[in-house]
Amino acid sequence: MNHLNGSSPSDRRAFLATVGRGALGAVVVAVASSVTAKRLLAQQPANSQSAASNVEMTSDSYKPVRRTPKPGATPLMDDKQVEAFERELACPCPCTLDVYTCRTTDFNCGISPAVHRDVKALVDGGYSADEIMAAMIGTYGDFILMTPRKQGFNLLAWFAPFAAIGVGAIAIGAMLRGWRLNATKATAARAEAAHRAPTSSSNAPFSLPPDVDATEAELARLQAALRHDPQ
Amino acid sequence: MILVGELSLWVALLMAAWATTVSFSGGLQGRADLVKSGERALYATFAFTLLASIGIWTALFTHDFSIKFVASYTSANLPKIYTFTAFWAGQAGSMLFWSLILTGYAAIAVFTNRTKNRVMMPWVTGTLGVISLFFLMTMCFGANPYERLDWIPPDGRGMNPQLQNPGMAIHPPMLYLGLVATAVPFAFAIGALISRRLDAEWLGAVRRWALLSWFFLTIGIVLGMWWAYVELGWAGYWAWDAVENSSFLPWLTGTAFLHSIMIQEKRGMLRKWNVTLVVVTFLLSILGTFITRSGIIESVHAFAQSNVGNWFLGFLIIATTLTAYLVSTRLEDLQAKAELESMISREAAFLYNNLALVGICFATLWGTLFPILSEAVKGEKITVGPPFFNAVNGPLGLLLLALTGIGPLIAWRRASTSNLRRQFTWPVTSGIVAFSVLFALGMRNFYALVTYLLAGFVFGTIAQEFIKGIGARRRMYSEGLFAASMRLIGRNRRRYGGYIVHFGVVVLFCAFAGQMFKKDLAATVKTGETIKATDAYGHAWTFTSLGVSQFEQLNRRVLAVTFSVTKDGKKMGVLSSEKRQHVDSRGEPTFEPSTEVGILESPSQDVYMVFTGAVDAETAAVHINFNPLVWWVWFGGIMMAFGGIIVMWPQAQKERESGYVAELPAASEALLVGAGA
Repeated sequence: MNHLNGSSPSDRRAFLATVGRGALGAVVVAVASSVTAKRLLAQQPANSQSAASNVEMTSDSYKPVRRTPKPGATPLMDDKQVEAFERELACPCPCTLDVYTCRTTDFNCGISPAVHRDVKALVDGGYSADEIMAAMIGTYGDFILMTPRKQGFNLLAWFAPFAAIGVGAIAIGAMLRGWRLNATKATAARAEAAHRAPTSSSNAPFSLPPDVDATEAELARLQAALRHDPQ
Repeated sequence: MILVGELSLWVALLMAAWATTVSFSGGLQGRADLVKSGERALYATFAFTLLASIGIWTALFTHDFSIKFVASYTSANLPKIYTFTAFWAGQAGSMLFWSLILTGYAAIAVFTNRTKNRVMMPWVTGTLGVISLFFLMTMCFGANPYERLDWIPPDGRGMNPQLQNPGMAIHPPMLYLGLVATAVPFAFAIGALISRRLDAEWLGAVRRWALLSWFFLTIGIVLGMWWAYVELGWAGYWAWDAVENSSFLPWLTGTAFLHSIMIQEKRGMLRKWNVTLVVVTFLLSILGTFITRSGIIESVHAFAQSNVGNWFLGFLIIATTLTAYLVSTRLEDLQAKAELESMISREAAFLYNNLALVGICFATLWGTLFPILSEAVKGEKITVGPPFFNAVNGPLGLLLLALTGIGPLIAWRRASTSNLRRQFTWPVTSGIVAFSVLFALGMRNFYALVTYLLAGFVFGTIAQEFIKGIGARRRMYSEGLFAASMRLIGRNRRRYGGYIVHFGVVVLFCAFAGQMFKKDLAATVKTGETIKATDAYGHAWTFTSLGVSQFEQLNRRVLAVTFSVTKDGKKMGVLSSEKRQHVDSRGEPTFEPSTEVGILESPSQDVYMVFTGAVDAETAAVHINFNPLVWWVWFGGIMMAFGGIIVMWPQAQKERESGYVAELPAASEALLVGAGA
């Protein structure tokens, strides 16, 4: 995929480093979650982390993923399944697309066809989808997956939005209850005031039953009156 | 002119500094002369920024390749229209373009408030001055469009072919007009916070600006989708790319504000929340600009290799800190005595609408920034791709869609059971009918069925609102159908314009659900060979290759493949896709080859073909997509923009009052009940 203005990976990293030092929010979150992250990381299966953390990724790097074919190998996936599998792989070029979409779209990208060749060779070598995925992750790290895995630190990616919405919903619920309470208090206060000075209640003509039958013009006058009501 | 422009940029910088200084000190000391001087300085900033822009346009059209910006983004053979749009094709130019819009808006805001809001205006002018100053400084010291090269190249590098597209000519200006417009409500919010004028006064001043921003952002985003669809060749219009997301974030909070502002107008509640939304919308537009320009996140759009990212980050941190301080010290002034008669009321519906919008905003921001967080915390790079955003935002989007239908049906203050039953009967029936028909036709995709169920419901709501309103007018004024419809909309522009926007949203959701039924295939064919395929509707298609051709056109060499297409045996015409190699004025190739997709468009589906490469002179590899309902994305976008125009259209006070009558049918009972409580 064409990169509109060609990003330089080294600049990007340098910048990321600056941001890592400077961005207050990121640092705060990093500090707050470091303990949890370490604990969570310790629980992760060994194979998922082994190679990943040692691989120096750049934005446009292709890395061969090859395995010796299994003896007497027959492909376990057909073309459609390979397609579906490749839709789960992020193309290592800066296109932000999956390998299948990238390789069937953009002829300038030499990386997605190369990844496809590796996948095909592994399929022909008798490897299953899970085995190929493990090999891909072993070489590229989690970066090769289109979405973060639902485990360890990455769980945060999946659950934080829903947690935030849940908290928001609870906060709104609490706030509405508060407002409702205000209204009840105000109604009670008004009722008490009306009780003390019964003559003033003649100024409140709005206690109409809900199924009242009124013309639009009447309602309009009512609404106009309401709009001029300072309350 | 170029020299005048270059000098003007520096004068504009000084003017912005002056505007900022004297406006703030005028506000502090209560000196009208200083305030006036600040306002004039802001007009001058705009005038000089305009001169600086004219200077760059002159340099572009005179092909002054001694200027780095001109040499980097244009070539002598670039078509005139793209020479004009090259102004915003690169980092430095687009910064100047941004400043031009900002100072223009600032001048308009100051001018239209020259006799209004006088207490807060010094702070508004000062804040607009600070933002202008920041942009001008970033440009002068970080990315100067007038920067010279040490030598003069015979020709420029040319423009990226993918930017040579009508969509790309209009999309950035629209987006900038929208993003920059968030600065004006922000300035008013700051003005209101500093001067502690936090009643309805400042809201009146910003509503129109917030709408304007929403309107341009909507158009900008939809145009961006259209550009991505016709130009990038992956047969989609939205990939949750970091830069796409960064334009979507302020749209979401801006939309939330346009809804919650109604609660403050009608009930005086949510004052803290509204200030927060205005401020956050602006900060998100700056954050988006930071993401786009720093290259911090991988994106097809990234303007990389520049240090302006640091400037933006600094500005973002300072602006966030100062605003947080201002808001936190004014919480008491923002306190409102909020009362709610019932949990089932439009106020509550609006709050949940805000939650859904802000929730989508948070999820999108979170997903966009999570790779950075992961890299910072774990030192590991990960990808957060479209499946993540679809999985998280899909359910939230559907919640929002449901609320779009529910909100208008629930009365303000309190809805009675009989009122609810009467209001919901037809819309719910309409949703169930839509669901049943599609289910009977064989649709089994869960998400699509839920979407169409909700879309049917929301459509029912909108239709019911129009039918009731028109019916009321016809009864009261004995108007004809057409006159009643026109006057209903004309006299209640906010309400019915809003419904038209909602209609656009429903259409968009229907179109998005169509993507569940996308089908595609890749094939390699020789001239005369035929590809056969079946689409999601069950139609049989054939594509017969008419061969690969090669020709020269404007500033490019073209390799094209053409197919004759039939659908169920009926001729549908020809479909052709190109591979273009752009060349400079000496015929040397510039950039990598780009694709021009072939699209056979219809409301039911697009047949979208990409020429992925020529194997030899006779053989072409193509990728064909059957893309249902894409046409409706553009239609929905147009409806949203159209609704936005209706809402924004100026309305005389008298008309507004007389038109108020027509709002009654939906709200009448609620009012009576509310009044009785």
